[in-house]
Amino acid sequence: MKRRDFLKRTTFASGMFFVPQFLKAFEQLPVKTFSNKKVVIIQLKGGNDGLNTVVPFNNDIYYQERNNIAINKNDVFKISDEVGLHKSLQPLQDLYNKGFVSIINNVGYPNPNLSHFRSTDIWQTASDSNEYLQNGWVGRYLDYTKGNPYAAIEVDESLSLMMKGKTQNGLAITDPKMFYNPMRAPFFNNVVTNYNDAHLSEHNLGYLYNTMIDAKSSAKHIFEKSNTKSTTAAYPKNIFGKQLNTISQFINSGLETQVYYAGLSGFDTHANQAGTQERLLKVYAESMEVFINDLQKNNSFDDVLILTFSEFGRRVKQNESKGTDHGTANNVFVMGKNLKKQGLYNDLPNLGDLDKNGNLKYEIDFREVYATILDKWLQVDDVAILNKSFSKLNFV
Amino acid sequence: MKSEHIQHLYNRVGFGITPKELARLSKKSKKYVVNELFASSKKVTSLSVDTSYLKGISFKDLKEPKQRRELQKISRKKVQEFSTAWFQRLNNPSEILREKMTLFWANHFVCESKNILYAESYNNMLRRNALGNFNNFTKTVSKEAAMLAYLNNKQNKKESPNENFARELMELFTLGQDQYTEQDIKESARSFTGYTNNVKGKFFFREKYHDENNKTFFGKTGNFQGDDIIDIILEKKQCARFISEKIYRYFVNENINEKHVNEMVEVFYKDYNIEKLMRFVLLSKWFYADENIGTKIKSPIEFLVGINTIVPYTIEKQNQVLLLQRLLGQILLSPPNVAGWKTGRNWIDSNTIVTRLRLPSVLLNNAEIAYSEIGDEETMITNFKKRKLRRKAFIKVSADWNSFEENYKKKSNKELVHQIITTKINSGTEVMLERNQQLSKHDFVVQLMSLPEYQLC
Repeated sequence: MKRRDFLKRTTFASGMFFVPQFLKAFEQLPVKTFSNKKVVIIQLKGGNDGLNTVVPFNNDIYYQERNNIAINKNDVFKISDEVGLHKSLQPLQDLYNKGFVSIINNVGYPNPNLSHFRSTDIWQTASDSNEYLQNGWVGRYLDYTKGNPYAAIEVDESLSLMMKGKTQNGLAITDPKMFYNPMRAPFFNNVVTNYNDAHLSEHNLGYLYNTMIDAKSSAKHIFEKSNTKSTTAAYPKNIFGKQLNTISQFINSGLETQVYYAGLSGFDTHANQAGTQERLLKVYAESMEVFINDLQKNNSFDDVLILTFSEFGRRVKQNESKGTDHGTANNVFVMGKNLKKQGLYNDLPNLGDLDKNGNLKYEIDFREVYATILDKWLQVDDVAILNKSFSKLNFV
Repeated sequence: MKSEHIQHLYNRVGFGITPKELARLSKKSKKYVVNELFASSKKVTSLSVDTSYLKGISFKDLKEPKQRRELQKISRKKVQEFSTAWFQRLNNPSEILREKMTLFWANHFVCESKNILYAESYNNMLRRNALGNFNNFTKTVSKEAAMLAYLNNKQNKKESPNENFARELMELFTLGQDQYTEQDIKESARSFTGYTNNVKGKFFFREKYHDENNKTFFGKTGNFQGDDIIDIILEKKQCARFISEKIYRYFVNENINEKHVNEMVEVFYKDYNIEKLMRFVLLSKWFYADENIGTKIKSPIEFLVGINTIVPYTIEKQNQVLLLQRLLGQILLSPPNVAGWKTGRNWIDSNTIVTRLRLPSVLLNNAEIAYSEIGDEETMITNFKKRKLRRKAFIKVSADWNSFEENYKKKSNKELVHQIITTKINSGTEVMLERNQQLSKHDFVVQLMSLPEYQLC
């Protein structure tokens, strides 16, 4: 039997006998959007060296501790008498001058964990450093708002912990058409509509079916909606540029997604840092410039807030391999149109006051950034989502 | 031994079992079956690819940039060839348990190398030690060229220690998080200073880069070297616990049963003998408890190789072998980072579930599959003009349906269900299967393998 016949026949044989109750319920669920605001989260994966990104070019300690990797005063574009940004970030200069960028320094958490994976988990779950959560803060946002899976989209081939909630997960999509096409096969209807169990994700089998159903229910909607809009902007021809292009396509088409997540890897610069970081920051800045201009052109930048973080910064003192080891507090970039505080949000780290391991001390808990975004931007109960109360900042 | 218990055993220490083998073993005792598994894994069959292109290459050649780049390019290709060879090996293993353990350790002592000599050496080192002594194993890992480069231990010198290896040794390889201080990391990093290897990958110790001063580590003081640090770490029972828990999660159940793990720790802590530990697990009564059968989500490799146990297939193009692994989220020899692949439910998201359910048709019924180019770090900065971001492909496969026919000729479609699926089937799906039993055996088995239930073992 040919494949086509096989698919036809199996569909025909089973039909739509068992439309499970929860599936009906799911499809009738109203889209509960609490606000039309959107957040784009970008992770610089591997622990970007914040000190060589936002450079204290008049600080003697900086040059002493990094005698052959410090960024030369002439190699930055200056944003104050003391602070310059890495020259690779030049494409951001125009956005910076327009007041679209806010740089929050010394962001971290108590008892920092210097492991990439643990620290990424901490940033993604918003947990304490000695607390292990199985769900991410965006996932819990989905739980809280009872959002459709496509209320949060990670532009990647697999889904990060950040996007996984207790009852809801976000979606991982690199391309809406590719996401949709395979699920149009009759066999999927068959499998999905025959599922008959109320226990959903309580056991692994339920989880498998549930993931399947979520994917199918969302794929069609996303494809049809985003199909109406295609971009004309010239994004850099690299993976990161492609990710941002996909996000702009979603945003500009009016998709109800509220949180997007993308990442740029390669920042784990233990040896020969300079070239790698220069290359990666360039990829980042060039893509961001096109992205924001694209949103502006489509009148959608007003509703978008972009957060860029890295799981940790690097040690102040460089190592012998012209690189840096895992560190702690780091800067975070926030970009948006109507920022309350533009430019440098707060002072650069005090390099004369390090912890006993030679690391920066944090000043702002990263969860204060999240709490601010949840409360002031997305207008939801940040305490319910973060499981704790954090003070709010004034960038939005 | 009960058939379903043999199936369970072979799902966990291998990639399933054919009805013929199952029939042969079902007359034997548990002890016999387990003993046979270990006996057949006694041998170590190394895996290699042809590296004769390196003959006559001198150290001088490597210093010349253009030639070095050329050699690196060939080397990366060879690593892919080796990755495919490993996949072939897993599909046709003679030492089943050893190969499964090798796969397990590759996601424990996680490492990546684009140098074919180092990658090959590392992989065979895992295979050799897979059922050996954990102490010895860890020390060997610390001296492998691939690992020395991967976690920067090569750059770890007394003037300025590089902590990368020291940290992961404790966090990921032996103790787990929060079992040590930053100070412990610093002292242990100092102890590993001076480790390096020659161009062929052979370890040697460079005394002039080693920190000869005393180090204080976990309350002990001395002029320690790397091996001493590993000995001191393994004195902690936590190490035996950490490894036992990992083995339990992988082979038994994602959810830890404290009581069972405690028993394992007692066995393992005595002499860190991996074979003894595995024997204990596979002979225990609880390994065969209902709650452990059919509850584990297969890894992509377990999934791909499991299909091969039922209908043997060969993917004709090497890059398509790698493509499928990428779409499912696990490329052999190319882990996401030093923590390795997150397992269990982490294998499954909206993309991978769809790919998995389609894959039996793609492999065995010539269905088409679409995918995007996401590339790795290397391709991240290259110009994409020549490459398409979206592609469709027919995976060129030759499927050995004769072998399936031969193995399953006595089985009706109804009997086939429980040969293929070991988990409890969803009631709605069961009704669907009931209705579809008039399908040909080929179509029916493809359908069975396309169910969410088949993702579990």
